[in-house]
Amino acid sequence: MAALEKIPDKKETVIDAHNISKVYNADTVPVHAVNNVHLHLLKGEFTALVGPSGSGKTTLLNLIGGLDKPDSGQIYINGVDITRLSSGRLIDFRLQNIGFVFQSFNLIPVLTARENVEFIMLLQGKGSSVRDRRVKQLFGQIQMENKLDSRPAQLSGGQQQRVAVARALASKPKFVLADEPTANLDSQSASNLLDIMLKLNREEGMTFLFSTHDQRVIDRARRVIRLVDGRIVSDTAAVSTAHTQ
Amino acid sequence: MILLMAWRNIWRNKLRSLVIVLSIALGLFAGIAVLGLYKGMMKSRVRDVIDAEQGHLQIHEPGFKKDEEPKFILSDGQMLFNTINKLPQVKAASPRSVTNGMLATASGSAGVRINGIIPELEYRTSQLKAKITDGQPFDANRRNQVMIGKKLALKMKLKTGSKLVLTFTDSTGNLVSGAFRVAAIYQSNNTPLDERNVYVRIADLDNLLNIPGAFHEIAVLLKNDEEVVSVQTLLQRRFPGYQIENWREISPETDLLIKTTNQYSYIIMVIIMFALAFGIVNTMLMAILERTREIGMMVALGTTRIRVFFLILTETIFITVAGAPAGILAGWIVVGYFNKSGLNIAGMGKEMMSSFGFGTMVYPEFPGDKLPGILLIVIGTAIISSLFPAIKALRLRPAAALMR
Ligand SMILES: Nc1ncnc2c1ncn2[C@@H]1O[C@H](COP(=O)(O)OP(=O)(O)OP(=O)(O)O)[C@@H](O)[C@H]1O
Ligand SMILES: [Mg+2]
Repeated sequence: MAALEKIPDKKETVIDAHNISKVYNADTVPVHAVNNVHLHLLKGEFTALVGPSGSGKTTLLNLIGGLDKPDSGQIYINGVDITRLSSGRLIDFRLQNIGFVFQSFNLIPVLTARENVEFIMLLQGKGSSVRDRRVKQLFGQIQMENKLDSRPAQLSGGQQQRVAVARALASKPKFVLADEPTANLDSQSASNLLDIMLKLNREEGMTFLFSTHDQRVIDRARRVIRLVDGRIVSDTAAVSTAHTQ
Repeated sequence: MILLMAWRNIWRNKLRSLVIVLSIALGLFAGIAVLGLYKGMMKSRVRDVIDAEQGHLQIHEPGFKKDEEPKFILSDGQMLFNTINKLPQVKAASPRSVTNGMLATASGSAGVRINGIIPELEYRTSQLKAKITDGQPFDANRRNQVMIGKKLALKMKLKTGSKLVLTFTDSTGNLVSGAFRVAAIYQSNNTPLDERNVYVRIADLDNLLNIPGAFHEIAVLLKNDEEVVSVQTLLQRRFPGYQIENWREISPETDLLIKTTNQYSYIIMVIIMFALAFGIVNTMLMAILERTREIGMMVALGTTRIRVFFLILTETIFITVAGAPAGILAGWIVVGYFNKSGLNIAGMGKEMMSSFGFGTMVYPEFPGDKLPGILLIVIGTAIISSLFPAIKALRLRPAAALMR
């Protein structure tokens, strides 16, 4: 890891978290959900966050995504310390810089697939021609051109997650955070979603950080960060992880 | 997009939305029905005041109204009456001699207001002839006839043909009295007035009052309600020496009644809507509770709290205002129906109604003039009842909401 930092890389840093900790129930039974974590992510990385249940994956993603504030430490995203932003500024910061894919309940049920993707661009104030072009492009990439006007309830779980990925990319964020995006999918759909994420990672250079339990998903990550009890216990390339196991 | 979402959100739980829409419609309907009833009652009360009691305008000598002393006869009354009678705006005018005195029979006595009238003119001005329930109108060939109200007749046990004695002071302050025979008994919608006013021929009264050919009052009925003020100012300019009043000034209590009823109407509307607001708040809170994760997700994605607030606000306003047209339409139809056929409210007590001067047939009228106010109250209700749910939605912490 030290070696990696020394490389005079033209690649820019997108996430730089120092010493972040989050304690739940500080006054009763303290739970150190995230404990002194350092995390450094470069543009274009495709990283899996793994670890047993309760190890702090969701908590860490929420902290990096600005959905929650750490008790200590700094989180720099594109050079901005988001722990210092007011909650109002943070909402706008998320809108402009971070794409989210959640485990479930990703889409607004009353909006069609296309409207869900447009929604985020409307929040950003993008014009209709820009939106149309982006929607076409993204639905091509997730291979769902024929489902533009379907409501989420009419889509399979895998299709919903693909739309969610499209929506996460629609705002042209600096990176995409995904908390167990494949947890509710069958293996075929999960693999399909991974294909699409990898393709977008390749074609758009999009940075992904996702948590997962699924070994087949872990196997396809380029970098794997392992958490246990809120601490990073290993951070290595997926291939070497696979070899050591 | 927020508007679109608000609109579609309403249809997510159709039954729940429908209940709210219907309750708003029902509340509005009830409010409009009550307001229509009020308006009809007020209107017929005003019609009675003008057409059957006071006329549009009354003219007196300035000192008369204080104690109604007989000496304050209208100076140049005949000239004044002729001028008024010739005005094109005037439908009818009736000169009256008025004095207060005592009615006595063998069995008792009562204080009354004695109106000396020219029957043909009075009939046209206050519909006195139409109010007769028993007996015959004044007979030109007989002297000292009197017409009394039904309430007074019952109280004094008088029938047509009964004899009675009227006692009062004349214009010089001497006590005088005359014997009269009851020619007819009349009844109007206003019992207190019936009990107090008796009518005799002006010639008979003037004779006793010792003011031959003179009178105290001219009641004027116009062709058009709208011309009251213009005719009043016109007459006042021409005859500055007289006290010329319109019906609102003569009967300030009627004016006050109308004004308080108007306020009361809005209060009723506010009370109805306030009651409905609880239902709306409850429903919207449920809707938001169900959508905790969805709203949390929207905020996580970068939807500002103002937008979430606006979404909830729009939804509530949509759902509330959606009930308004149905309620207003139902109110319009039902009020319109009873406006034609009339509504008999004798069940509320004929006695009670007429003691306040109201008839028992009411012709409700659609309160169109209050519609803007009503709509304002409805929209106000929507906004107020959306505030609480919207604020609740704003308090959501996205991370917590997403973890359900
Ligand atoms: N809101 C909360 N209040 C109290 N404790 C919490 C809260 N959220 C998480 N925790 C605790 O923090 C620790 C980390 O939880 P977290 O959800 O981040 O784990 P995870 O790795 O995402 O688990 P899983 O794989 O089951 O999703 C757990 O012990 C959990 O019980
Ligand atoms: Mg988790």
